[in-house]
Amino acid sequence: MTTERIMLKPGVWLQYVQTDRFKTGCFSFNLLRPLARSDAAPNALLPTVLLRGCSGYPDMQAISRRLDTLYGASTGTLVRKKGEVQSVGLYADFLEDRYAGGAPLFSDMLDLVGRLLFEPVTENGGFAKAFVDSERQNLEDTIAARINEKRSYAIHRLLQHMCRGEAYAVPRLGEADTLTAVSGQNLLARWRQLLAEAPVELFYLGQQPRDAVLEQLRALTDRLPAGERASVPATRVLLPDRPAETVEEAMDVTQGKLTLGLRTDITVRDPRYPALMLLNAVYGAGMTSKLFLKIREEQSLCYYASSSLDKFKGVMVVGSGIEFEKFQVARDGILGELRACQQGEITGEELESARSYLISGLRTGCDSPGRLDDYALGQAVAGLDGTMEDLARQLKTVTKDQMVEAAQSLRLDTIYFLKGVQA
Amino acid sequence: MNRTDFPRLGERLYEDRLPCGLLVRVVPKPGFAKTYAFLAVDYGSIDTAFTADGVRVDSPRGVAHYLEHKMFDMPDGSAMQQFSKFGGNPNAFTSYDITAYYVECTDRVAENLRTLLNFVATPYFTDESVEKERGIIAQEIRMYEDSADSRVYESLFGAIFAHHPVRHAIAGTVESIGEITKDTLYACYNAFYTPANQVLCVVGDVDPEEIYRIAAETIPDRPSPVLVRDYGPAETMRPQTSLVESAMEVSMPTFALGFKTEPAAPGPDSMVQELLGELAAECLMGESSPLYTRLYEDGRIDADFSCGYEGLKGVSLLTAGGDSRDPYAVRDAILEEAQRLGRTGIDPTLFEQLKRSAFGRRIRGLDSFESICYRLCAYHFEGVEYLTFPEVFAQVTLARVEEFLRRTVTEERSALSVIRPRS
Repeated sequence: MTTERIMLKPGVWLQYVQTDRFKTGCFSFNLLRPLARSDAAPNALLPTVLLRGCSGYPDMQAISRRLDTLYGASTGTLVRKKGEVQSVGLYADFLEDRYAGGAPLFSDMLDLVGRLLFEPVTENGGFAKAFVDSERQNLEDTIAARINEKRSYAIHRLLQHMCRGEAYAVPRLGEADTLTAVSGQNLLARWRQLLAEAPVELFYLGQQPRDAVLEQLRALTDRLPAGERASVPATRVLLPDRPAETVEEAMDVTQGKLTLGLRTDITVRDPRYPALMLLNAVYGAGMTSKLFLKIREEQSLCYYASSSLDKFKGVMVVGSGIEFEKFQVARDGILGELRACQQGEITGEELESARSYLISGLRTGCDSPGRLDDYALGQAVAGLDGTMEDLARQLKTVTKDQMVEAAQSLRLDTIYFLKGVQA
Repeated sequence: MNRTDFPRLGERLYEDRLPCGLLVRVVPKPGFAKTYAFLAVDYGSIDTAFTADGVRVDSPRGVAHYLEHKMFDMPDGSAMQQFSKFGGNPNAFTSYDITAYYVECTDRVAENLRTLLNFVATPYFTDESVEKERGIIAQEIRMYEDSADSRVYESLFGAIFAHHPVRHAIAGTVESIGEITKDTLYACYNAFYTPANQVLCVVGDVDPEEIYRIAAETIPDRPSPVLVRDYGPAETMRPQTSLVESAMEVSMPTFALGFKTEPAAPGPDSMVQELLGELAAECLMGESSPLYTRLYEDGRIDADFSCGYEGLKGVSLLTAGGDSRDPYAVRDAILEEAQRLGRTGIDPTLFEQLKRSAFGRRIRGLDSFESICYRLCAYHFEGVEYLTFPEVFAQVTLARVEEFLRRTVTEERSALSVIRPRS
């Protein structure tokens, strides 16, 4: 496997991964925007409208049948949140040509994606009204459906409260009320502006030789309007000086969701980041973590209790599903385990288990096209150029003292508890 | 070991049965960093009633899943600690028909494999440890109870089937797991966890002979009882109840629709019927069908709508599900379209395209180690070699799919499960 980062033109980059290990090749096209409340939902709406029709394939059925003839290739929307950056685009997955009797599936998919991006169905100087109306309704429904999955909903509510006033509080798909003013005309204008101004990140993984990929992707990106592509602003890292707050909400549910939000000044750009990552693993990631072993296995308080990091924002989130009346004991247990880390109560076994868990995870990540794509995008957003293998190497030298220091950088900001109506 | 080449798929399968009865299957994947070892037991949530050597056992619902949780316990601690020493990332799941334990690793494959085989071969249950797990599993059940996606399908199965144990949730209920004791676990373990009732599948950059040798050294010989499974009286083609509704904290109604069909005989027929069912569903209501586009454009379904075929021991059905403001209208439209296709037949071009698409997607699926392992074990338990799937494509004709559709998609055979928002 060879990996190369190539500038196709100013502000337009390609992450090129050549490998013949997979039967599936893949490709993604992404535009980067600052995450903003007023723009996030309209931006997220764009790829869904693009997928409704283009020249040659004027409706969903025509697109879907085209994909069938390309041996079940797929294309779909890609909307990602990386700290305070929103990435909006399309992906394409397709059988490698050698399994399709030599049919040129990569070229055929690029042709289709090119049409979707640059030749959408338009009317009266805008996107087709019927497409925009129905996709707006779908997006509003998707946003309203956040409430359906209580585990992620509780985290969403936690971050909304904890980061109020910050761009980070804006969810990946934005908020429904910002869609009311969207029309076919202003949405097409938005799309053209994004194509002209937004930094572009392309990803390709597959067996095609470098020259063939470059030639075809240059042809695709030559269709981008000329323009200045100012890089997106960095995510702001804040450490508000205020006491921790507890927020409770009631809903008709059978299980309570306890979530805790913590802040640190350590982000992926900080040399201390590998230590924080390792600390997070010892504390709450995986089945050898303190939260799993102490809160779940020893105290039987829950089925899941785990922590995760947003490496761009310097935010850690702990989530757990518990009985309503176990709120205090679970909260105290979860915070107690953090205190233990801060006081240096990390055994050699915990450290080495977490280290090999993370290193193994990064190495298996190199076997996953989706994770390679996502990691490359994250690095581009953060302005970094290391690979997952580089990070795995850095993890090898992290010491316990560095982890304790990373633990001490964490400050509890907000506790959010979703409880039952009777509780 | 016996080697079979599948040149069209670019895969090679090595297999052999150990003297103790365990079947070992290996698919080498040169160049990959990760190895995936998967040990499947032909025992799932539906296997609650059985006789072992003539002794009748009626076990509480949820025992297969409970057993899966407790398998990780070893006399000297938890298997988790062993895995973490070797950098392995283990997990397990219980489905209606199988229980599987697996480990993903990038290093020390031999040690991780031995640990996997060892812990599944070592039942160690105490009154105390069984009691302790009850709270954890109760919280897992509560989590599913709050998930509309789980509930809507569980309710459908409960409505459409009259006798078959697939009517009941995999994890059981908080009440049913209250009856599970150490003795229950040992009885079910001794009946089902015999080498002859398990398959080991390893995928990765490994030497098949080495895998076989490790398994031969690790797995103790154990006699298998004569097992007779009791799934109750055969299902008729009529649903027990044709409509089941409930209310939850969700934003929009969510639904699952099922059509009963005759279960396939074990063996190659089951794979033929699966493709028949899949293509029937795709022709009728898949993304490339006229009906899908119409329902989508009318705003009655969204991109989360899905359809397919499910078949397992003694039951099979076509399903469709998703979110809709009017699930009843979606059901009626599907029935109406099935009647129309019954009269006019399926567009032959669409049929050929969908067949090609299904073929391409199956080849792409071979990139997933998890999916290969699961299929090589689950299909084996059904008496069919998964990698022979290209041969099945020749047997599935337009006429057979039309006949299947006419027979299956009727009002008399259907049941609808709806979860409404709580107002």
